[in-house]
Amino acid sequence: MKSIIIGLAIATVSFTACNSNDQKSANDHVGMHTDSTTMHQHTDTTSATANAGVSIKEILTGYLQLKNALTTDNSKGAAAAGTALEATFKNYDKTVLSAEQKKLFEDIEADAREHAEHIGANAGNLAHQRVHFEMLSKDMVDLLKAFGSSGQTVYKDFCPMYNDNKGAFWISETKDIKNPYLGKAMPTCGTMKEEIK
Amino acid sequence: MKPVKKTLLLLFIAFVAIQFIQPDRNESGRDLETDISRMGILPGSIGLILKNACYDCHSNNTVYPWYMNIQPMGWMMAKHIKEGKAELNFSEFGSYSSRRQTSKFTGIANSIKNDIMPIASYTWMHKNARLSDDEKIMIINWAQQAKESLSEKN
Repeated sequence: MKSIIIGLAIATVSFTACNSNDQKSANDHVGMHTDSTTMHQHTDTTSATANAGVSIKEILTGYLQLKNALTTDNSKGAAAAGTALEATFKNYDKTVLSAEQKKLFEDIEADAREHAEHIGANAGNLAHQRVHFEMLSKDMVDLLKAFGSSGQTVYKDFCPMYNDNKGAFWISETKDIKNPYLGKAMPTCGTMKEEIK
Repeated sequence: MKPVKKTLLLLFIAFVAIQFIQPDRNESGRDLETDISRMGILPGSIGLILKNACYDCHSNNTVYPWYMNIQPMGWMMAKHIKEGKAELNFSEFGSYSSRRQTSKFTGIANSIKNDIMPIASYTWMHKNARLSDDEKIMIINWAQQAKESLSEKN
């Protein structure tokens, strides 16, 4: 009997606790959004690039890790890379950006973070991860266009078959084609469209 | 009192007790300027489906069925609403950047196509959120068109 009472008490309390925790984490989330520009200390060791005076090297590296996981159908690896990339975006030091650059960066960031987060939350669902990877790649192309590739030579590749033959772009660090959309099924499908320095 | 009776009584007391913990209601009561219906891209037929099936979790105005005043059902619904709005909020769609709007249209089409949405853990209780095959096709086609017209504009 006693154990039933205790059990009930715990159940009621934990239900309540869950509820208030939810609210707390929601508040934290909001706080994080507004604070991320000022709070986080950035430890970027690479010097600013000549291109736009802005380094997006860490973001690019994170994206390429994600891309490489997808080329081998490694859903778990892609998820881990997605989560890491989301954090990289979040911790990016925007204080070095001009007002105009910041606006552009934040526009891309808002979208890219969501995609990275989804890829992180969908381990085991490659198809879903790839849908978000396509949109993330579009963000990445725009980011590279705006801020350069931080001294690294990368390639804009095109896979004509993905998405019911509508095709999709991705960014690669190698000249050889390794397709992240079709993975092991068609690893070399695609063509290099542009070299980005 | 027999132990069984005592347990039932306690369960009942616990049930009554939790009724006092009501979640916040998702009712802004206003038709927001940023609502997707104000953007001139939402045909009436689609708008009706969205309002009926999607707005409860994906807008700032939920139409609550009476049993959602009973806990823990209300809590479960509040969680769905919180998560649904974080993902996609039709009441604030107009305030999204065009980049995000494009992504959201892709997401809408894809999640309907792949039966991710409407989410099964919600539709079993909420019949109004279930979509017929025709409705699904209508939404998918609309989302794709809206996305294309958006990328033409930019």
